[in-house]
Amino acid sequence: MRRAYFKNNWIAALMVAPQLLIIFVFFYWPTSQAIYWAFTLEQPWGGGNEWVGFENFRQLLTDSQYWDSVRVSVIYAIATTALAMGMALILALFADRQLTGYKFYRVGLIWPYAVAAPAVGLSFRFIFNPSAGLFSYINHLFPGLWDPIMNGSHALFMVIVAGAWKQIAYSFIFFLAALQSIPRSLTEACAMDGSGVLRRMWDLQLPLMAPTFFFLLVINITDSFTDSFGIVDTLTVGGPARATNLMVYKIYEDGFRGLDYSGAAAQSIILMLLVIALTFFQFRFVERRIHYS
Amino acid sequence: MNTRALSAAVALLALSAGTASAEKTKFEYWYGLSGDLGEKVQETCNRFNAAQSEYEILCVGQDGYAQAVQNTIAAFRAGKHPTIVQAYDAGTADLMLSGEFYPVQKMMADYNIDVDWANYFPGISNYYASSKGELFSMPFNSSTAVMYYNADDLKSIGMDTPPATWEEFEATLKKLKESGKACPYAYSADPWVDLEQFSMAHNVPVASNNNGYDGLDSKILYNTTLHVKHMENIKRWLDEGLLQIRTAQGGINAQSSFAQGECSFYANSIAGHATVSKTAKEGMNWSVTMLPVYEGTERHNTVVGGASLWVLSKKTEPEYRGAAAYLKFLATPESEEYWSTVTGYIPVTKKGFQGLKDKGFYDSAPFKGREVALESLTFTEPGPLTRGIRLGGFIQIRAEWKNAVEAALAGNMPMKEALDTAAQRSDDVLAKFARTYKGKSFP
Amino acid sequence: MIERTPILNIVTHLILFVGLLMLMVPLYLTFTAATLTMEQISQIPPRLLPGDQLFVNIAEAWTRSDFSQKFVNSFILATGVVTGKVILAAMTAFGIVFFNHRLRMPIFWLVFITLMLPLEVRIVPTYAVAANALTPFQAILDATGLSRLIAWISGVEVHLEWNLLNSYTGLILPLVATATGTFLYRQFFLTIPDELVEAAQMDGAGPVRFLIEHLVPLSRTNIAALATIMFVYSWNQYLWPLLVVTDPSYGVVAVELGHLVPNSNSTGGGDPQWHLAMAGTLIVMVPPVLVVIFMQRWFVRGLINTDK
Repeated sequence: MRRAYFKNNWIAALMVAPQLLIIFVFFYWPTSQAIYWAFTLEQPWGGGNEWVGFENFRQLLTDSQYWDSVRVSVIYAIATTALAMGMALILALFADRQLTGYKFYRVGLIWPYAVAAPAVGLSFRFIFNPSAGLFSYINHLFPGLWDPIMNGSHALFMVIVAGAWKQIAYSFIFFLAALQSIPRSLTEACAMDGSGVLRRMWDLQLPLMAPTFFFLLVINITDSFTDSFGIVDTLTVGGPARATNLMVYKIYEDGFRGLDYSGAAAQSIILMLLVIALTFFQFRFVERRIHYS
Repeated sequence: MNTRALSAAVALLALSAGTASAEKTKFEYWYGLSGDLGEKVQETCNRFNAAQSEYEILCVGQDGYAQAVQNTIAAFRAGKHPTIVQAYDAGTADLMLSGEFYPVQKMMADYNIDVDWANYFPGISNYYASSKGELFSMPFNSSTAVMYYNADDLKSIGMDTPPATWEEFEATLKKLKESGKACPYAYSADPWVDLEQFSMAHNVPVASNNNGYDGLDSKILYNTTLHVKHMENIKRWLDEGLLQIRTAQGGINAQSSFAQGECSFYANSIAGHATVSKTAKEGMNWSVTMLPVYEGTERHNTVVGGASLWVLSKKTEPEYRGAAAYLKFLATPESEEYWSTVTGYIPVTKKGFQGLKDKGFYDSAPFKGREVALESLTFTEPGPLTRGIRLGGFIQIRAEWKNAVEAALAGNMPMKEALDTAAQRSDDVLAKFARTYKGKSFP
Repeated sequence: MIERTPILNIVTHLILFVGLLMLMVPLYLTFTAATLTMEQISQIPPRLLPGDQLFVNIAEAWTRSDFSQKFVNSFILATGVVTGKVILAAMTAFGIVFFNHRLRMPIFWLVFITLMLPLEVRIVPTYAVAANALTPFQAILDATGLSRLIAWISGVEVHLEWNLLNSYTGLILPLVATATGTFLYRQFFLTIPDELVEAAQMDGAGPVRFLIEHLVPLSRTNIAALATIMFVYSWNQYLWPLLVVTDPSYGVVAVELGHLVPNSNSTGGGDPQWHLAMAGTLIVMVPPVLVVIFMQRWFVRGLINTDK
């Protein structure tokens, strides 16, 4: 790790203070109230509550459907992250070769990130429509093969593809930024040594991108747990038969549409602990393999 | 520390909006209707503002019923809520128990505004009233479920009138299927139609305590009634190819499938009548009829859907005066006529309906057929089982039903077992709700 | 670059082209839907080729939504969030990477955890804070008995209030309070060689000068990436502006777009006017795309630091 530091810690304190102040007011304070609700039965319109201890948690953890939701969320997170990062990495590595027209590709590959969520939802509905969309050609060849309306796994697949699509441009742009931060001289030196393009990608660029890779891994996994509400809401509304009922969707559906604030708060805490645990795990076991300088 | 100085300084810092003119009394109204219907709500506000100079209503669209309720709650807890909110059926149980509203009937009386409450259709006003009959909220956009049918398709199999019973309905589906129609019935599992309206029309309970009106300790009963048989029929029709599932999530919803002539029947809210008119394939003959009932049962009234306008507590007297003026404005026959013309919703007063009828409004397209909804709503006087449903956690209860039915339709479990599971899980929801509001009861 | 790799070049173009195609399909469908009439959109089978209604739909969406004022507001919101994030995140990351104190990791985690609970699920208490951003401090004063002490000494009852509803500050601040940027900078700062820090110290540069003169230029591409992403992210923010803004003069485009998107009848919607919603999407997309294109110029290979 680093050896050279600056000494004046009061400057460090001034540096971190503004952000800490903002997150205290806009994150920790409200969140602490939500946490309090998890241990009570809160009446949505105010009007008081009753302390119930761990009752809300007990109810959730003994509910097999809740565990289904956890399972589906984990599958979704792993699959979207792998898909999005894999695609983005390949595209970034090749776009970075800067062949003719790379500026065009670069804009084209980042652009999709600018599309507003409802349009993405509608487009994917159209693509996956089993009777009249692009995927209906599968059903022309093999009748009944593709049925996201009735078949839970198909619906989950659909949500995963749409979720990954949304994340590709995001990962692409950071991978590209990382690649561009690698000094040209380093690449040239390697080329002089006679290592080819693919060899350089593997031996030089990938290791140097490790910090960004780790950043994207953590962000993508976190995002797929916490930011998947819109995709589910437009594509499957959690169905069929709860096959795509991701944790964050369930929280919103039960808690805020269904006005069960305490149940939602308890679910939020479980979600948060799960993501913290996963992140901690990544820091503990993945980050170790990264050489920063 | 001088508080006033501090807040003044802070206000400057915040670039917050300075509201200078204070001549008119301003008050807010948050509504859930979205898309072109939201535009129409906005127009009622503009018309109100143009019609008088004492008050100014600020109407804020919240893109959906659930969001309107949720955002209003958030604002209410911070003391920044609107005076009026448009709330839907499933969001009102909590509001009723909280008591944080100003019953409209009382408000109108307090401000000496004369409203002829008897003029409202009882099927509509009962739904929004206390058990003693005092109206809590103002009926606004009202609808009920009807069956849409393709008259051309029926003619092709020699039928001039739509089926009135589910038995006839099944026979019709079979004939359509035999005549080569791939999709006789566009179906999507919808608790509002299949469970709630069905149970009302057959006078069977959805839950104990007269569908929840008489106490919080209610239990689900739909898994013990005729409803089970109906859902088993749906499953059988699916297996026999008599119906096809059409959901928005599958790409094309039941309404579009019907409007494009792909499917011959679909059941949903009368509010969709306007949309089908606009999107129906050219030259297609279609109409609506009341939901079928089973043979050997006696048809009862269906129940009102849509949303109503609630006046919230903790506002000032001038704001309430403004709200009362706006609600009064909405209740005029002109406003009712405007609203029923530009949307698919039905008039909520007898006079409003009669006025439209006398003008010949329902005699020709595109409004012909909408009177069926009122016929269905007023078929009988509402009884203890048909005046509505008053259950807490209703969103979850509907979701339990929907998920169970989807599982059964996919063949994961028998329909009866699915409904039993859903009922049991819904009972847990009800128990939790009752505990949250311990010691309270519906007013 | 230096060598000739004709086959690999073809493969490269192929991969990029296929990738582009896959990413562009939804975009194309959005465009197509924006060029059709409402009847054409609900046709079975659906149309894959554009129609001729593009300008009609765009004009209709534009007049319905009163976009002009909202574009200004969205721009203020997005610029505010980008500026706030790029600066605050850099400062925080700097404070925990280049200083040796025991609170480095705790502070990092404190910031990082904010990623793990989305706004959607804590919206009710967050609204309460936006209605009065000084609530937490008031509560602390009350709980510690300080407010009573002040009231007793000065005779003034402490009542702190800072209403952020219907203000740009209220729109921007809560969106700045997330960790993405801090984490990104941290990852990059960790790769800065010790030698650079030592050299700067030898030159007598203090931490602030090191940050501004050395780190910021080196982070150029990362800043560009972060700014691009954050601009688009805040441009498309919907839920928060919908809640805190009731005064139309502070409305943003994403909320206007939301009004155009149809809901189903049972959730309070009307006709499925997807053609207008998609035309609106195209209008709303223009500024973020311009930003993406503009930001391209910062994506240049680092020329400085070549011999390190």
